[in-house]
Amino acid sequence: MERAAGGVSYQRFPRVRIRELKDDYAKFELRDTDASMANALRRVMIAEVPTVAIDLVEIEVNSSVLNDEFIAHRLGLIPLTSAAAMAMRFSRDCDACDGDGSCEYCSVEFHLAARATDSDQTLEVTSNDLRSTDPKVCPVDQARAYQHALGGTEPFDTAAAADQRGILIVKLRRGQELRLRAIARKGIGKDHAKWSPAATVTFMYEPEIRINEELMETLTLEEKRNLVESSPTKVFNIDPNTQQLYQVVVEDAEAYTYDDEVIKKADAMGKPGLIEINAKEDSFIFTVETTGAITAYELIMNAITVLRQKLDAVRLQDDDADLGELGAHLVGG
Amino acid sequence: MNAPDRYERFVVPEGTKKVSYERDTKIVNAGSFTIEREDHTIGNILRMQLHRDPNVLFAGYKLPHPLQYKILVRVHTANQSTPTQAYTQAINDLDKELENLKQAFEDEKIRYEERPKQGY
Repeated sequence: MERAAGGVSYQRFPRVRIRELKDDYAKFELRDTDASMANALRRVMIAEVPTVAIDLVEIEVNSSVLNDEFIAHRLGLIPLTSAAAMAMRFSRDCDACDGDGSCEYCSVEFHLAARATDSDQTLEVTSNDLRSTDPKVCPVDQARAYQHALGGTEPFDTAAAADQRGILIVKLRRGQELRLRAIARKGIGKDHAKWSPAATVTFMYEPEIRINEELMETLTLEEKRNLVESSPTKVFNIDPNTQQLYQVVVEDAEAYTYDDEVIKKADAMGKPGLIEINAKEDSFIFTVETTGAITAYELIMNAITVLRQKLDAVRLQDDDADLGELGAHLVGG
Repeated sequence: MNAPDRYERFVVPEGTKKVSYERDTKIVNAGSFTIEREDHTIGNILRMQLHRDPNVLFAGYKLPHPLQYKILVRVHTANQSTPTQAYTQAINDLDKELENLKQAFEDEKIRYEERPKQGY
């Protein structure tokens, strides 16, 4: 047997197929790896890919109906463009400042000043009223509006682009005022959900559906219809092209929710084994949706980078390895 | 109040080692790694990768308590290997797999974006 010390590799070579890729949405297939890797990627995308979000708020004037901390919390939840976040520093390990937002490597300053002056109309203070000191970091809808104004390619849904009112922070009545200074910092979703770039990240096992055609032919048309109807999602159908045969075909395997309803139905009809459904253990279908802070593609790539950094951090240091070897020699002789 | 700081969950305290290995006192080629400030993300991929190594007789991990931010990875190997060797190999293999995956994504993105031009 070969020694592992010789560097025998048990590496896998995963394959990827992108089905859909938009700025804030991706759907792809991941094959030739296992659930632990799929789940690690999912977990890292949700909780460990960094973004920038407002973290410190200094309120100068607040005569609105919402209290200071309520507004500070709402400001924190506004997604900010974070393409630069991977290269930024966490303010806790920034040595150019003491984390008070005075340094460009770890923080971005925002200002907001709004006062409802005229008429009886309430003034809506939104994310569009936030003024950033760094053009790279701003509320996502401001960035979107800017791109739209430039007449550049419209990456987001046109329906979403039509709604450019920004994210509502507070409503002001006549005479009320809100003036504040906010500092945005780099962070991760594990610290606070406001830093999570992911809206949803899910994966499912690809189902493998086999129909026992021989057994299926023993069914009447009525029975076939009942079987097709028994699935809560539209997984099966009766093939319209084979009108005389009325063959039951798989219409959309991925609609299957692993509910076992068709299998139960087949058993109830006294035809066990009519349909067999297995989850492929090395094939996953991912859907990734982001808040807009980074693109879906950036999220995936950053997740891979972050996971590699994490793995690198858990390597044994040289002194540990030596100790382990020595220990093994002493005992194993 | 007395709530612990949120960063306690992922910042290794000063003077603490990220990874430490403790050899089993009764079994040859067995021991456990204590990894500070890590969770199921790392624990589960390491365990599964260790299972791919035929020299590994046992590999398992646990998160001893949800408020103790560390995991234990226990490894028992055959005589041809040692837990530290298998552990290092598992990390190397995972790292190469991810490097490969990153490349695969980049290639696939190019392919995906070229597709409409070919009238596909």
